[in-house]
Amino acid sequence: MYEIRFHGRGGQGGRMAAEAYALAAFLEGSYAVSFPFFGAERRGAPVRAFTRVDDKKIRIKTQVYEPDYVVVLDETLIETEDVLEGLKEDGMVIINTAKKPEEVRLSKPVKCATVDATSIALEILGRPITNTAILGAIAKATGRVSIDSIEKAIIEKFGARLGKEAGEKNAKAARVAYEKTLVGVAQGGKAFVPRKKWLPTVEEMPIGGATPAMETDAGLVGIGSFIENKTGDWRTFMPIIDKEKCIGCKFCWFYCPEGCISMEDGKASVDYDYCKGCGICANECPVNAIEMKREVRT
Amino acid sequence: MNIKDLPEESLFTPGHTACAGCPAPAIVRNMMKIFGKDTIVYTPANCLLVFSGTYPYLAWRVPYLHEAFENTAACISGVARAYRKKGKKTLVVGIAGDGGTYDIGIQALSGAAERNEDVIYVCYDNEAYMNTGIQRSGATPYGAATTTTPAGRKIAGKLEHKKDMAEIMRAHEVPYVATLSISHPKDFLEKVEKAKETEGFRYLHVLSPCPTGWRFDPAKSIEIARKAVDSGMWTLYEAEYGEITNIYKPKKKIPVEEYIKGQGRFRHFTPEMIAELQKWVDRKWKRLYGELPES
Amino acid sequence: MIQKLPAKKMVVTGDYAAAYGALLCDVDVVAAYPITPQTLIVEEFSNFVNDGITDAEFIMVESEHSAMSACIAAQAAGARTYTATASQGLALMHEMLFIASALRLPIVMPVVNRTVAAPIGIWCEHNDSMPQRDTGWIQMACEDNQEVLDMIIMAYKIGERKDVLLPVMPCLDAFILSHTVEPVDAPSSDEVADFIGKYEPHAMLDPDNPMAIGTFTPPEYIQELRYQNHVAMENAKKAIKEVTKEFADEFGRDYHGLIEEYKCDDAEVVLITVGTVTGTAREVVDKLRQQGKKVGLIKLRFYRPFPREELRSIAENVEAIGVYDRAISYGSGGPLFIETRNALYGMDVPVLNFLAGLGGRDVVTGDVEKMYEILMKAKDSKPDKEIYWIGTRGVSI
Repeated sequence: MYEIRFHGRGGQGGRMAAEAYALAAFLEGSYAVSFPFFGAERRGAPVRAFTRVDDKKIRIKTQVYEPDYVVVLDETLIETEDVLEGLKEDGMVIINTAKKPEEVRLSKPVKCATVDATSIALEILGRPITNTAILGAIAKATGRVSIDSIEKAIIEKFGARLGKEAGEKNAKAARVAYEKTLVGVAQGGKAFVPRKKWLPTVEEMPIGGATPAMETDAGLVGIGSFIENKTGDWRTFMPIIDKEKCIGCKFCWFYCPEGCISMEDGKASVDYDYCKGCGICANECPVNAIEMKREVRT
Repeated sequence: MNIKDLPEESLFTPGHTACAGCPAPAIVRNMMKIFGKDTIVYTPANCLLVFSGTYPYLAWRVPYLHEAFENTAACISGVARAYRKKGKKTLVVGIAGDGGTYDIGIQALSGAAERNEDVIYVCYDNEAYMNTGIQRSGATPYGAATTTTPAGRKIAGKLEHKKDMAEIMRAHEVPYVATLSISHPKDFLEKVEKAKETEGFRYLHVLSPCPTGWRFDPAKSIEIARKAVDSGMWTLYEAEYGEITNIYKPKKKIPVEEYIKGQGRFRHFTPEMIAELQKWVDRKWKRLYGELPES
Repeated sequence: MIQKLPAKKMVVTGDYAAAYGALLCDVDVVAAYPITPQTLIVEEFSNFVNDGITDAEFIMVESEHSAMSACIAAQAAGARTYTATASQGLALMHEMLFIASALRLPIVMPVVNRTVAAPIGIWCEHNDSMPQRDTGWIQMACEDNQEVLDMIIMAYKIGERKDVLLPVMPCLDAFILSHTVEPVDAPSSDEVADFIGKYEPHAMLDPDNPMAIGTFTPPEYIQELRYQNHVAMENAKKAIKEVTKEFADEFGRDYHGLIEEYKCDDAEVVLITVGTVTGTAREVVDKLRQQGKKVGLIKLRFYRPFPREELRSIAENVEAIGVYDRAISYGSGGPLFIETRNALYGMDVPVLNFLAGLGGRDVVTGDVEKMYEILMKAKDSKPDKEIYWIGTRGVSI
């Protein structure tokens, strides 16, 4: 049996990718299961999905903790979390990025395959939906299923929902990605500090779960504690405020869904720890003082 | 009351997990700035429940209660009566979605309104069950595609028009009913303030365009809310004891065709469907303004 | 606040006793919806409010679901709350019952046991309250109107204890108690106030000390909360015994805790009864005793928590046990029978189930005599079945 963990963002189709991969393996006579982690995350938030493949019926129903492969649909995720967590010693990570494997930096050196699935998707599908292109990269990097089966699975799964033509286009995106995938070794040495989690015992758990604002060894919990959840890593575009142009009208301050714009010396200022990059501020600014720029994370 | 009169301090923190571009957090944050610290908030099951906190984390800085889905108005009634018994003055606010208001919650809502409970009930209306993944509700407009009214080969989108919930509430002759849009800040804030100052049952109904469910560019949430008002798809008014006391008339009414543009949920619209939706708008317009719009 | 009410002797219905009990406990908020045969409770309480005997807030909601929702919310805001219901009204509340107990809110709600449709009927059956077994409520059944009044008072005292903090559901049989008048001794309001004390919530909605109650919670936390509730229910056993003892000391009426034994000391067979059939069964036991038959009776007061230890200790000394049920779990047996046999696991004593009085059919002395007759036979020879439908046309015993 081998196991794959998919990392993506809500709305990117990571779950569909995981399911389509399972279908491809099934078409080759394997037994395969796929499931998402059912969380409460909304569109844009980091999410995970899993696929297990074996040559006999898979009975285990737990989540995947020690995957053989990790697939990353959104490059920004490797900056904010250790995607290698639990990856088997000889495991491999497959990343959607324009970089070569040797240029990717992770927590440890590891077998790595890269493909610029975003560009491929934009070119073939006209939209940056990478969940089909990445499947071609998995086929190439792992050799576990053939690209033919991947194509068949995509046509069956996506074609049924989006129409025959869209199914074929998505299959083509996978084929092109298959051909363009590079395999090598990523660099290690990137440090991640895992966020501490408050795990109270029965005795420590507030009765009935009724919780005021409480300081714990894992930080603030309860009332007002979401302030500790930095949503800035959801962002792909970032608002840049031209302070010269800003007239201090506070419309952006009012409209910002995150409430992460404050006024400094009468000018708007963004707290990038929370900004999800929705672009409302730029769209609503009456003097066009805000521009959305593709963010480059290092 | 205008934007610049609002306090800086927020009672709803950043770090919440609403979809990028969802206007609901801005709606509640700005409302809370007016309601103030001395407020108790209830939310039923809805996106707001989920994105405002996953235990042990919470965006609210005021007392907060959740019980279930269909009972917002009953729950806030209970809190308000407990406080009345104590002889303490506290603002009690329930914030429900359209599913929790138009559909499953309408019984409890109607009961609380009829009893004239001293509470504020807010419906933030994103025109479908977004929390469960975009299923149609009584608030979904005609023709819109949702996951239960898909744009299929035989049937394209929802067959029925949107229910006029604010009018149902107006018919309860409660002290205050207002419809709001985040795209009109001054109007929005004045109505929230008015609601706070009024005693008895108050109903605030605010449109909350949903980038995920309506399928539009998240940067356009406010713009789409504005177009909803300008097209007559959404009408801003106030009513006291059943009487309309103030109604906003767009300076230049735009056709619904302009409103539905850029929203994926209407992508399949035929000219006939556009005409049907326009007819609905015109009917509503005539009922509320007493005359047909100038063409 | 309530007007000072002197101790008095009344001849009242069970519903009146239930309403008067809540009045004596000076409840802050009542939210209720009428349903036969609970209606008298809401009517009586409306009289107390409109005559100015209490300044409690009475929310006349539009459904039982809203009644429980409002009680939970008011209790979460620090109020002592009360409601009452029956049958389908209880079924409609079902969803909210879990929430009341999981939020640890000691609401008190008498349930007037009435058959749940279909077919629709208004008479006594326990198929409304028994299915609420796993909602986390303390559930008990009353034998007479005196016990109804006393139990409302004890329910607040038990539920509000710091080691319990659970809602309580005292049950009374439709019409047999709810609409039957009998003499009831009522303590004074001062005595009751002293006995139950002030309600001190463990958590409440208060802008001066904001708290989040009932938030969206992932798997990392819920199992610990479930364990807390289980411990609270176990603690309730001790609390029930202590409170019934305190009540007996204070008011002179002893309810003996989770069960009451009647003539069990040298009994060869015992019958476990619930609700009003207990009174009838006492008569039968006396009659059979006169005939020299060594029969005993166990009045099962609490269904949750279940008196496992008490029943095991009695079972050690008897040769057959019968369990009377006024409800059926299709495909298995009566709820109390299932529970009892589970409690007696590993013990070598036959346990038989007697179903009677479903849909409100009167359970007469002859029915109870029949149960004892079967039990006496079972002690001598292994019975050929476990479940007996007493008085069911076309079904042989």
